[in-house]
Amino acid sequence: MIDVNGLTLKYPSGKGIFDVNFKVNNGEVVGYLGPNGAGKTTTIRALLGFMRPDSGKCSIGGLDCTEDAPQIQKTLGYIPGEITFLDGMNGDEFLKFMCDMRGTRDFTRQKQLIEMFELETKGNIKKFSKGMKQKIGIVTAFMHNPDVLLLDEPTSGLDPLMQNRFVELILEEKKKGKTILMSSHMFEEVERACDNVLIIKDGKIVVQSDVIELKNSQRKGFIIKPADMTSSSNILQNAGFEIGTVTKDSIEIFITGEKTDLFIKTAAQFKVLNLEIKAQSLEDIFMQFYGKEGK
Amino acid sequence: MSSTLFKTTLKKNWTLLLIFFGVLTMYMTIMISMYDPEDMEALMSMFKLLPPDLMKALGFSSLATDLTAYLASWLYGLLMIAFPMIYSIILGNKLVAKMVDNGSFAYLLSTPNSRVKIITTQGLYALSTVLVLFSALFGLGVTVCGAMFPGALDITAFFRLNLTTMLVNMVVMMISFFFSCLFNETKMSLSFGAGIPIMFLLMNILGGASTNIEFLKKFSIYGIYDPIKLVHGSEVWGVNLFYIGIIVALFIASVFIFKKKRLPL
Repeated sequence: MIDVNGLTLKYPSGKGIFDVNFKVNNGEVVGYLGPNGAGKTTTIRALLGFMRPDSGKCSIGGLDCTEDAPQIQKTLGYIPGEITFLDGMNGDEFLKFMCDMRGTRDFTRQKQLIEMFELETKGNIKKFSKGMKQKIGIVTAFMHNPDVLLLDEPTSGLDPLMQNRFVELILEEKKKGKTILMSSHMFEEVERACDNVLIIKDGKIVVQSDVIELKNSQRKGFIIKPADMTSSSNILQNAGFEIGTVTKDSIEIFITGEKTDLFIKTAAQFKVLNLEIKAQSLEDIFMQFYGKEGK
Repeated sequence: MSSTLFKTTLKKNWTLLLIFFGVLTMYMTIMISMYDPEDMEALMSMFKLLPPDLMKALGFSSLATDLTAYLASWLYGLLMIAFPMIYSIILGNKLVAKMVDNGSFAYLLSTPNSRVKIITTQGLYALSTVLVLFSALFGLGVTVCGAMFPGALDITAFFRLNLTTMLVNMVVMMISFFFSCLFNETKMSLSFGAGIPIMFLLMNILGGASTNIEFLKKFSIYGIYDPIKLVHGSEVWGVNLFYIGIIVALFIASVFIFKKKRLPL
């Protein structure tokens, strides 16, 4: 459905995205992760046709994102990363304006969404809180029942309850077979809502994987509590294990799947008081790619 | 053109037009009421005491004694240029660059409307308000003159005057609009959208003040705009066509540039 092929878009500052390739299949929900300035919004700008790429192509439903933008917009929902509404409009005026611009006649979905997010549409949008603006942005993106959704940090500014409700909305849309690409900083929501994950760093896609597979393929953390710290720490180090945080009575060890056997055999050489498995979340994986000590 | 967008733009901007129409209504009414055929000679002799260069620079050059020429020199010489210019600068920037700068333009483009359609709508709104403004001012002039000095106004000449004044102001509107489409930042859009029309006006004033630098007028869009000549009936279609040509060219250029450019939305 969404097809990005060798997409390169450079800014005069030298930043941008470089040779980005990915695909989002019909009915798939993909999380797009990356630190600030990595190129998430730039990718979405290209997909919306706001910026003509320097080279490469991107298309949605077979239509070219730059040339056929108006055609694509008919079945597209979009939440901007930084939402700014047109000046001097009330909430309900804005929603009506967007419906008129799109030629939407059916307002049932809009009503459902307003109820779902407990949105109050009266009053000038300018005076609304960040969260309220975000809710209007969400309603605007979903109210015309689009087939494809491009969501740029859709839950920023929402309280935890509403973030939860948003994940429910995504799961509900997924059941209907919608194709969704969402950038996010909230690992929990990506883990819950998305099938696949893309991680972008310095304008290049560094990881493209199934959420579950990604979690499994990554190294696991163990916290081991030996009887004798010094000797056991030496044994582990000599065996070539990566040692994380060391406290006065415990050692953190990271291993990848194939080293499990070696790890157990090495640990058998000294007395172990306690062994804990450190559950690794997507966040840890992310930090592994982005943390200062990450490779 | 998108009628939904046109209506919304109108809803958000009609007050701006009304303010400028109000100010110009006030000036026009005062100017007409100050007209006194018998006093005109006395007034003229008084102005002869002022430095002729100064008068020429401000566009009050010809000795006008009939009502139509009186309005042409005192009202259309500067006020009907300067005030609509401010209007054009404000509106031109507001219609595109401001919305691109603050990001709200993203919402216009996230609907099934092409950039060309959106920009054409905004541009047509800009031009149509200038048309409305000068139609209203023409109507007002005819009405007020008819009430105060029945039969004194040469309506055909006054129409010619308003038509060309409207066109020169549409050129200014399109200059501001063009820079609004060209730049993504309000700062730049305003610098050029205001700077260039003001420069044209200053060139015209300076060029009129001294024969040494009269050539400056030739490079100003106002150089061929002569309200007194318009009233005195010489054919002005060449001037009008020239202005229409610039308006159309700038409009097309604006749409074309906006269609192609990258929008940081």
